[in-house]
Amino acid sequence: MNYVIVGNGVAGISAAEAIRQLDPGGRLTMIAAETFPPYCRPMISLLLEGAVTPEKLPIRPPSFYEQLQIQPILGDSVVSLDVPNRMMHTRQGRTVAFDRLLIATGADPNPIPAMKPGMKNVFFMRTEVQVRQMLDVLPQVRQALVLGGGLVGFKAAYALLHRGLQATMLIRSDYPLAMQVDDQAGKMILKELVGHGLEVKVGVDVTGFDGVEKVTRAHLSDGTDLPCDLVIVSKGVSPALSFVSGDQIKVNQGIVVDEYLATTAAGIFAAGDVAEARDITRGTCRINAIWPEAVDQGRLAGMNMAGRRVAYRGSLGRNVIRIFDLDVMTGGLVHPPAEPAYEVHSALDLRRRTYRKLVFHQDRLVGIIMVNAIDQGGILLSLIRSRMPLAIPREQMLSPAFNYRTLLR
Amino acid sequence: MKKVMVHPERCVGCMQCMAACATAHSQTKCLLTAIAETPLPKPRVHVGAGLYGEGFPNRCRHCDPAPCLLACLPGAISRHRDTDTVIINPDICINCASCAMACPFGVIRYHQDMTAAPGKTVAVKCDNCMARQRAGLNPACVEICKSGALTFEEPAAGLKRKTDEVARSVSVCAEGLPSAPGFALLNAVKKAQAGLSKM
Ligand SMILES: Cc1cc2nc3c(=O)[nH]c(=O)nc-3n(C[C@H](O)[C@H](O)[C@H](O)COP(=O)(O)OP(=O)(O)OC[C@H]3O[C@@H](n4cnc5c(N)ncnc54)[C@H](O)[C@@H]3O)c2cc1C
Repeated sequence: MNYVIVGNGVAGISAAEAIRQLDPGGRLTMIAAETFPPYCRPMISLLLEGAVTPEKLPIRPPSFYEQLQIQPILGDSVVSLDVPNRMMHTRQGRTVAFDRLLIATGADPNPIPAMKPGMKNVFFMRTEVQVRQMLDVLPQVRQALVLGGGLVGFKAAYALLHRGLQATMLIRSDYPLAMQVDDQAGKMILKELVGHGLEVKVGVDVTGFDGVEKVTRAHLSDGTDLPCDLVIVSKGVSPALSFVSGDQIKVNQGIVVDEYLATTAAGIFAAGDVAEARDITRGTCRINAIWPEAVDQGRLAGMNMAGRRVAYRGSLGRNVIRIFDLDVMTGGLVHPPAEPAYEVHSALDLRRRTYRKLVFHQDRLVGIIMVNAIDQGGILLSLIRSRMPLAIPREQMLSPAFNYRTLLR
Repeated sequence: MKKVMVHPERCVGCMQCMAACATAHSQTKCLLTAIAETPLPKPRVHVGAGLYGEGFPNRCRHCDPAPCLLACLPGAISRHRDTDTVIINPDICINCASCAMACPFGVIRYHQDMTAAPGKTVAVKCDNCMARQRAGLNPACVEICKSGALTFEEPAAGLKRKTDEVARSVSVCAEGLPSAPGFALLNAVKKAQAGLSKM
């Protein structure tokens, strides 16, 4: 069997390991644009923060490819996929044939119209290279600007604050992480960040940048200007699938996969941030672009590629973030539709600074938001994943004393 | 290979396992002196209360495949094959709490620990008392447990015992006889008390 994996992110490497476990003799090739050893992408914000050095990023040894007998093609990218002839073409002119293919190309940051080629010190934060470039210019930076209040924007701002830099964050919603949290938690997060010196402007966007070579000033949609010498653009990501033709493989937002991580083209699989699988709480296809899903999907895709049929139970959006003295965990449907079948229970304790919100759909838990006291959150998330009908009183689940024993008869 | 087994129906909620665990993971290994240590040693086993106040010694199940291991961002969690133990390397841990989201039993805690660099908060959980096992000792929680809620035995033997208990309970003469009668009574009392206090 001739396996090819595109992308050496965590989905790609998890798949490679699963394939090797089941098929020690098959031919396995990995094509990847990044040349750095397989690394922990979320940790690049710690690199920006100065909490870790680049040597701490890899999650597999440099001998990874050799140990698993993988033929690596690094620093090259796939530019076209020929489904009927089962081959791919790369930027450097290689032609790579496959029997079974995994597309694990992740996602690319969304550009904004104000970005101009050649304008220095305007960055995305997706790869270790991008953060290293930021670190190179950081000593000259006085005023940083972060565009977007999603997970990456938040992490960028947090890292800059830790460095003691002046940072301003522009967000469209009223508080950061609006996709992940509700009003109450969002306000607690905003307060914590502002309390630590972050300047947040809500409801504004950037319309243009000034600067001869380097950026010096941003023009905002409210007509004002803001001096800045570093900009981090974090306005979401889009699946990296430009080489995939929608006529040959079904693509919605991401590449649509079934419960075996198979695409609509025979022998071609997808996993990770590029894949759109069934979402457990919604019942429809959706990209949940998070690390643990990339691991799960990669592993299962690898098993299925190697011939072991293992079904994926679907994805669940979830996040945990530590913001100075605030811990926030969220998962599933936190903004439920206004239908009678959904029931929301919440408890706020301002003195202890805890907040907990549970969203139920009939007798099942489908969403959680927790601020502080997050230790037991995994139990709640596993109840969402298992879709277990719940008979215990709902106030018990809101209590900070909630623990595994509470669930036992 | 012997493993720690939990028998929740026998837990009286005395929390001695927690004290023993914290002591076993202290520098001085003695309760009296351990409480004066910095960082303060903390337990890896947690006795949680059920709906009626029944106890349950909640500890890491060392799952295979382990959800925490798969979810760990920096790759700090691994499996020690010889003792079938899931362990966290405090030097690699970044305290991101991804494992808190992954653990379906809620057994991971985040604090300073003598195994980590001073001042560093890390994820901490049961390590099956590997150090004690190497010295020929049983895990501390098992050693201290007087009610039989925690045992250290070959899984096959433990399973056999449970199977036999179930088999006995289905025989006609044994009808209604709980497998751990004293504990069942205790829990029934707790349940009744919880009911009364609500009235
Ligand atoms: C700053 C930051 C912080 C994050 N924090 C968290 C967090 O705390 N928790 C969490 O769950 N998630 C977090 N994430 C998201 C997480 O990193 C992703 O979900 C995860 O990395 C997805 O893995 P993947 O393997 O699908 O894709 P990726 O990691 O994106 O890997 C895909 C690889 O494929 C390569 N590639 C793309 N196109 C091609 C091509 N045509 N040819 C060859 N190679 C190609 C890319 O260069 C890349 O190396 C964070 C992300 C960022 C950027």
